[in-house]
This record gives sequence, structure tokens and C-alpha cells, in this order.
Amino acid sequence: MFKKSMLARIVAVAAFATLSIGAAQAQDIKIGYNADQSASGVAELGISGRWAFEAAIEDINKKGGILGRKVVGVVRDDLGAPPKSIQNMTELIDSEKVSAVIGPANSGNALAWLHIPQNKKIPVIVPIATGSDITLRYAKEPQNYIFRVSMVDREQVALLVAYAVKASKSQKIAIIGDSTGYGQGGIKDTTEILKLHGVTPVAVEKFGSKDTDMTSQLNKIRDAGADTVIIYGIADGTAQVLRSMEKINYTPVTLGTWGSLSSLFPRMTGTKLSEQLILAASTTEDSNPQAKMLADRVRTHFPTLTTFPCAAQSYDSVMLLAAAMELAGTTDGPKVAEALEKVSGVQGIIKTYDKPFSKTNHEGLSVSDFYLAKWKDGKTVVRYEDEFTRSITAADLKR
Amino acid sequence: MRRAGLRGEISRASEVRVIAILQAIFSGLALGSIYALVALGFNITYNTTKTFNFGQGEFLVAGAFVAVSGLLLFSGKGLTGNLSPEDVTISRYLLAMVLTIVVVGLLGVVLYYAAVRPFVGATSLSWVLSTIGFGIIIQNSALTIWGPSAMVMPSPLGREVIRVGGAGFLPQEVLVLVISILIILCLDWVMRRTKIGKALRAVAQSKNAAVLMGINVSAVIVLAFVVSSSLAGLAGLLIAPITTASVFMGLSLALKAFAAAIVGGLDNPRGCILGGFLLGLLEALIGLWHAELREISVFLMIIIVLVVRPQGLLGQRIVEKV
Repeated sequence: MFKKSMLARIVAVAAFATLSIGAAQAQDIKIGYNADQSASGVAELGISGRWAFEAAIEDINKKGGILGRKVVGVVRDDLGAPPKSIQNMTELIDSEKVSAVIGPANSGNALAWLHIPQNKKIPVIVPIATGSDITLRYAKEPQNYIFRVSMVDREQVALLVAYAVKASKSQKIAIIGDSTGYGQGGIKDTTEILKLHGVTPVAVEKFGSKDTDMTSQLNKIRDAGADTVIIYGIADGTAQVLRSMEKINYTPVTLGTWGSLSSLFPRMTGTKLSEQLILAASTTEDSNPQAKMLADRVRTHFPTLTTFPCAAQSYDSVMLLAAAMELAGTTDGPKVAEALEKVSGVQGIIKTYDKPFSKTNHEGLSVSDFYLAKWKDGKTVVRYEDEFTRSITAADLKR
Repeated sequence: MRRAGLRGEISRASEVRVIAILQAIFSGLALGSIYALVALGFNITYNTTKTFNFGQGEFLVAGAFVAVSGLLLFSGKGLTGNLSPEDVTISRYLLAMVLTIVVVGLLGVVLYYAAVRPFVGATSLSWVLSTIGFGIIIQNSALTIWGPSAMVMPSPLGREVIRVGGAGFLPQEVLVLVISILIILCLDWVMRRTKIGKALRAVAQSKNAAVLMGINVSAVIVLAFVVSSSLAGLAGLLIAPITTASVFMGLSLALKAFAAAIVGGLDNPRGCILGGFLLGLLEALIGLWHAELREISVFLMIIIVLVVRPQGLLGQRIVEKV
């Protein structure tokens, strides 16, 4: 009797266990990751984001998954090419049936496929691409499915300009940007925000993104009397501008964007010169112990981790998504998107997100989350403070 | 008094102008010497086989990466670490140079047998596509081995700016210019004064006659591809400390070098060199005036030269006899 019931129990438990494993597999929550990881110069950012994406999923699964279900990441490389990125998006949503997507790295690729998740009602969090328009295209729709946790171009500029206006003694500020869409957009944003402060740049110069000598442009900037220069370019272009400054012995207050967080920058300029640049950052490896830990985890897969903020932003994007799914009690796209606009108290690497999104604001980070930083010893990026940074108030951050 | 002040200001302004021009001329010459090296590579194979390597830019990439990896190996850091300035000594840089010349030269042999020889003499332009294809294979192999990140190669001469009368130059820029000129002079001497040079020129003039004179024509042609590829590799090694080594660096450099060869005259080595320096200088001086007009002016110059002198500045005019 006893034996029989014991056997029955074992069989029942075993049967239940198998059943539940089968059911769990069928109900895994899939999240897609779509970004350049091999082709263009942006690939480094995509790779940093990818491994942090996987780390976040690992952490979520360790704590029992989302809604008690296991989370599976589906990673796709878009090769930096819009057609491939569009194809990946369709495949992730239609064949892989992902519940949400994290990506991409290139703003151009995002703009190429935004309509797909928007039409199919799949929430997207952009962890890297900074183009100002990305979250705005569907802002007037009943539900905008595009969110972002990254440094938006215009928000960075707001901080850089606020500092420039305070630090410049003569109010003679110059802008130099690369000739790509990124640099040109930056020049436009910077000029507009300077105008809000009542300042007209004394010189606006351009350089090719592969140029190695910007002395002629810098000579013109110096002739115009500028004592503060804002550089809009990625790490190697910015490094070449600083090298050229050194060549003509010109040392104005120099400001740059987060692109120069790449370790390529100090390796190209050398330690001493790298410390001349003040840049905008969302986070640095040294900002808290969790950040350090994430950086170490990403480095096991990608030893030359360059832009850490991409990793942190990608990690936080997954965490926000998980929180929204828990809040919605489902992975249904429209409900998750709605929940994203309500989530609060989500612990991320960069900060604790208290109601980061709303119906009208889909930017998880804004100028108030950014700070100025500098390279130190050519190895780490540390927070930078001086009398001017301390005097910046919310009213100075015009945008 | 006031006038003196004004005059002082004017002379100060013109002094700044002179320094800026000096600066531009120098950086133009440094970049121009790179164009000249690669253009010379186009010339050597064109003269011997009437073909050239459209993937020359990727050979330059290969040269830069072989050099970086060589330097890493010599400093005991494996193949894909980060180079620090103290890793790059002059002797290691010279060793890396030898390694680059050998490895990229061998790649040239492979290129010739795989992508050029099967199509030589045929009326088709198959070799254009096959050399481009070969370049793409090299580029993607480099991408697989070294990844998409740019690699920094410190200059063996350090990065302390050299100041000459207010203008500043990087030591590597001086090195690029000096080595390029040495190599150009050396090649010029070889072409004009040695037996190998004579053989190369003989093959260029007439393959059949060269065979009859007892010249091993196929060996000469392989040599031409080796020299041409090595020149591109060398250019990569020289330019990398200025630009960083990147898988994507080749195309624009090779395109400008090709333009230089066309401007100077594809069939004249001295013309190719002249074209290279001319292009570099033009770019730099136009940059002084309007940076965004540089590319436009370069390719405008090509069109003008081609209209006025289709054979290039120093090219030989081909007179068709009826």
C-alpha cells in the first residue's frame, strides 16, 4: 500500500516535472538584440552592449526570470548596414517571436526600421544610438513603442555648452565637427544651444572623419580669438584635433562628446594630451561597484572593452524592460509599452530609474544624469569638477 | 605710434599665415609621400603586365596590421594586445618593417597567381574584378583576425612635437617623408642603373623582345607584383602611427594614390611620384582655405589633367600609327 502510493507520487512528481519543463521551454521570454558587432567603427559599441545585454539576462534568470519564466536573448549582427538591420528586425519579430528588442548602435539603422516595431507593437529600447530624432518620430501616435536609454546628442550639448559659457573668459567659443551626419548634427545642435545663451560661435570649422591634420582649421579658430573649443566627432577624429592643437601650441578649454570615452582616444593622444579634453559622460567604470563588476564581466568576452557607457546603458535597458513586463503581468507589446511609461524604482547601473519614461518623454537619461569627465593616466575616466562645473544650475542647462 | 601698432598687428597676422602655410606644406608632403609610394606600386605592375591591383588599399591595411602584430610579438604581447609607446623601439620598428615587406610581398605573389595571371592578355577586364575581390578577401580576413577596432601604433620616435619656427611636426611625419624619399630614390636608381631594373623596363617595352634577349619574363612579372605589394604594405606601416591601423583605412588612401598615378602618368614612375606629392600638397593647401572643398578639388584636378593631358603630366603620349 505504502509502496504503491509512494511510487504513484514519484511518477506524479516526475510527470509534473517533465510537464513543467516542457511548458517552461514553450513559454521562454525572448528578447532580441540587434546592433552592429563587426562592420563599422560603431561595432565596438555594439559588442560592449551585446555582452552587457547577455549579463543582464543572466542576472534576471538567476533571480527566477520574468513572470517566473526564463528569459532568452536572441542576438543579431546588423553589420552597420540599414538593409541588414531591417531584415534582422523582421526576422526577430516574425520568426523568433521576440517580445521586445534592444538596439541598435547606429542612428541611421534605427531610423531605417523604426516603423517595423511601431506597426507590430513591439517595444524597443535603444541603448546606444544617440540621434535626437529616434524617439520623436512616433511621439504623436497613441502609443510610441520606441524608448531610449542613451546619451541623446542634444542633451550632451546642453551640458557642454553650459560649461563652455561659464569657462570662456572672452565668450569667444568655436565649434569644430567632423563632416559626417553625426558631426554636422552636432554642429547644428551646438550652434542653436549657444544661441539660447546669447552666444554666437566665433568660428565653425569642419574636418573629414579620416583626416590626420586639422592645423589649418585650428589656426583659423585661434585667429578668431577663441579661448574655448567644442569638438564634435568620434574618438579618433577628436584625438587628431587634440594632436593638431599640440602641433600649433594652442591650448584652449577643450570640450568633447562621449565618443572620446573610447580607450582609443588616450592611446592616440598619449596620456598627457588626453587630460586636456573635458567630455560628457553618462557613467564611468569607477562610478559604483556594480559598474566595475559589469565592466569586468563584459571584459571576459570582450577584453578591449572601450566605451563602457554602452554596456551600462544596454544592461539598464534590459532591466527596465524586465520591470515593465513584471508590472504589466504579461509580455504583450502594447501592455509592456504602457508599463514602461509607468515603471519606477528600477535599480540600474547608471542610476535608480524613478519613472524614467512618460507618455511624452521616452528618453530614460537626460542632461541631469550626465556629468563632465576627464581621462586620467590614460586608463580610466573620472568625474571632473572645478569652480565652473559646481556653478552649473538646472537653469544653465538650456536645450 | 598707432600706425606702428597696426603694422605690428599686420606683420603678426602675416607671420601666423606663413606658419600655417608651412604647416600645411609639411603635412601635405608627408601624406603625399604615402600616395607616391602606393602610386609607384600601381606603376610597376602596370608597366610590366598592363594590369594593376585594385585591392592595393587592402594590401596597405594588411601591411599596417602585420606591422602592429609584429611589434606586439617582438615585445612579447601575443598577436592582438595593445601597444604602449615603450614597446615600439627603433630596432623593433625596423624588424617589423622587414616582416611587413616579406609578408605583404608574399601576398603579392599569391595575388598574381590567383587573381591576375589567369586573366593577363585576355581582352576582358576580369582582372579588375578579381583584384578587387582579392582585396575584399584580405580585408575580411583582417576583420576576422584583428576585429573592427582601430589599433594604435605608437611612433618609434615618440610623440613629442618638433617645433620649427612656430610650426609643429610629429616625428613620425618626418620619418614618413624621409623613408619614402629614400625608398623612391632607391627604386629610381634600381630601375635606371641595375640589371633587374633594365629587365623590368625591357619587359615593359616588349615582352617578346625581352624573352628573345634571355630575360625570364614570368620571374620579372612576379617580382613586379612583389615590389608593388610591398610598397603598399610599407605605406601601411609608415602611416599607421599617424592614423591608427584600421581595417577601413585602405580604400580612401588607395583611391587618392590611384588618382595621383593618373595625374602624374600611370606609365611613368617619376610621374606617379610627382602626382602623389602634388595631390598631398593640393589637399593640404586647399584645406587651409576650405576644408570641405579638399576632395572636390582633388578630383576636379584629375578631370582637368585628363582633359588637357590625357596621358598624365609626365606620361608618354601614345601615337597611334595608321
